[in-house]
Amino acid sequence: MSSTTIAAPRRRAGAGLRLAPYLFVLPFAVLFVWFLIAPIFVAIGNSLFRETSSGLGFGSANETVFVWFEQYAKALQDAEFLAGFGRVLLYGVVQVPVMIIISAVLALLFDSALVKGKRFFQLAVFLPYAVPGVIAALLWGFLYQPSVSPLVAGLRSIGIPADFLSPGAVLWSIANVSIWSYVGINMIILFSALQSVPRDMYEAAKLDGAGELRIAMSIKIPMIWPAVLLTTLSSIIGTLQLFNEPAVLKTITSNISSDYTPNMAIYAASTTANDPQLASAMAILLGLATFILSVVIMKLTTRRKGVNQA
Amino acid sequence: MARTRKGLVAVLAMLTASGIALTGCSAAGTPDSSEPTKLNVWGWVPGFEDLVDEWNEKNPDIEVDFHRMTGDDGEKVKAAVDAGAGPDVVQLSTHDLPEYVIADRVQDISEFTGDIEERFTESSWASVSFGDAVYGIPQGIGPAGMMYREDIFAKYDIAIPTTWDEYLEAARAIRAADPNVYIAGFSPSEIGQWMQEVWQAEGSWFGIDGDTWTVSVNSDENKLVAERWQQLLDEDLVAVTQMWTPEYWAQVNAGTLATVSYAAWFPVQLAENAADTSGLWKVAPLPTNAGESFAGESGGAANVVLKGAKNPEAAAEFAAWINSADETQDRLISVGGLFPSTLTGLDSPELTSEQEFFGGQVINEVFIEAAKNTPNTWVDGPAFSTASAGITDGFAKVAVGEKTFVQVLDEVQEATIAALKDKGLNVKAGS
Repeated sequence: MSSTTIAAPRRRAGAGLRLAPYLFVLPFAVLFVWFLIAPIFVAIGNSLFRETSSGLGFGSANETVFVWFEQYAKALQDAEFLAGFGRVLLYGVVQVPVMIIISAVLALLFDSALVKGKRFFQLAVFLPYAVPGVIAALLWGFLYQPSVSPLVAGLRSIGIPADFLSPGAVLWSIANVSIWSYVGINMIILFSALQSVPRDMYEAAKLDGAGELRIAMSIKIPMIWPAVLLTTLSSIIGTLQLFNEPAVLKTITSNISSDYTPNMAIYAASTTANDPQLASAMAILLGLATFILSVVIMKLTTRRKGVNQA
Repeated sequence: MARTRKGLVAVLAMLTASGIALTGCSAAGTPDSSEPTKLNVWGWVPGFEDLVDEWNEKNPDIEVDFHRMTGDDGEKVKAAVDAGAGPDVVQLSTHDLPEYVIADRVQDISEFTGDIEERFTESSWASVSFGDAVYGIPQGIGPAGMMYREDIFAKYDIAIPTTWDEYLEAARAIRAADPNVYIAGFSPSEIGQWMQEVWQAEGSWFGIDGDTWTVSVNSDENKLVAERWQQLLDEDLVAVTQMWTPEYWAQVNAGTLATVSYAAWFPVQLAENAADTSGLWKVAPLPTNAGESFAGESGGAANVVLKGAKNPEAAAEFAAWINSADETQDRLISVGGLFPSTLTGLDSPELTSEQEFFGGQVINEVFIEAAKNTPNTWVDGPAFSTASAGITDGFAKVAVGEKTFVQVLDEVQEATIAALKDKGLNVKAGS
């Protein structure tokens, strides 16, 4: 008797607790499903079809035929599409470490007592992040064009024949734009992580005779390792998705082709070639590649950390 | 709390009620068959609004609503038509027309066009008609001429080239006279400059043979132009530079490019972006091929009636009026900046006004002559944009010496045939 009277309100309270979180999550879930999950399934569905016509194509009805994985085969046989992957991987191997190292060095500098005018310099480093990627590429675009660039003129006057837009240099000119844009935000993430490191650890290290450099390498970096991993991962994902900077710089140099990066190839397939099915297959492949690469890097880095701890 | 909720319900109820009332009102107010046909028209010709207003005054039964296209509106059209939400009439580059036709996005208006064909130049009408079908009304063309720096040619005492052979000689002479000056720039991304010379050589990228498309991106006519460009590039007689960039205009202003060969709409751009060089430029006909007198052309635009148009007859009637009526021609030329595709337009005094930027020359006399001498061999085909992108990407490799023009044409030929096969169309290599 008494047990039922106790059980009843408890059940009611329990039901309320179980429902509330879902209600709070609902707006996010609806948007997430509608704008992220659903498009993925639409793309998968699209990628299994091919639109076909006949004769000259005039007046004949267009048909959509189910072709299994034909579009994927076509995408994987597209040498330029695959070359785009090679290009962004090469770009990533250089750009990501350079950017993360610069960010980490800056974060460590700002965290140490060495820097004067800390607020000003932090803002100065962060400011480029507030400039939209397209605008950043436009700005740098001016600095890369020989006849209008003070940078090129300056380098040439001291005997360096700079050509930022040559076939060999243009990839690194793109990398420079994104390093300039994203060093600030990565620095902020690493700097915030450093703030949560207990200060008494530094004191203990100092008492043990460690200098600033030793503290940075042996305490600070290992303590903020998850943050380093996070910034590295998101940078790698950003690398594979590379689009804005090369697409803008393409307007000033033809050394960036219309399928220079995987994302540009997808854009070209859906607009220029008017082939949304092929573009869908390419997009799925790019998504898979990003996913696999992220998992591999996560595994590699966590294992290394495990070894260090042992 | 309870009170606010009640209040909210009341407000909602009121809104609902008024909504119903409004709906009822508009339903009751709808007139019957006397309502005018409404046409949505998209385009980018300057001053089109005034012509539309004039049409609306004269034709109360067909009401046109004009939308000026900017940014990526061109890309939106395809999606809008496919979703059944497109405009009735849209402005389109004639190069894109076959892709629209095959994707079933435009209507055949041949039953409404009657004899207005006679009002247009042969080549412009050819660009909108496929066999017996007519898929649009021509809206301006791009006959080519050669803009040149008179002062540079005079300074080094070099004759203005009239043939491509003389052009090569002049290119060498300019380079020898001043190592900083080139006869022209080579912009790998500028497909129009390539097309106008292929067109001049009586070539094309596409053709129709019965019910089969022919692809001739690497035909003899194309290769004739390829070899010419290759020689100019190999001898370092042209400056590799991308058109429309600040870098390009800096070079034009600095006087390091002695000529620009391009369409009739280019002089306006030149005057705007190189204002300081006013009075130094003149326009001459595009140099000709040996033994020929043909001029070149880079293509025009058309007003097409899209699939979703409920009243294609009214839409065609409007498109025909605005582009071919005698009273619209002057304004299309002066305000719209179009080079006319109509015979009346070609006779318009508006077209033959003197241009201050070109030292008072009546530059359109050159373009009028060019329009009359343009071969009508050019055929636009499906996968135009695939071919075009393949060529511009390939020419970038030529510019840095990784490939030759002919190699690129051969590659794009294969890629274009493959693209057409992919769409299930009949296709073969043309000659």
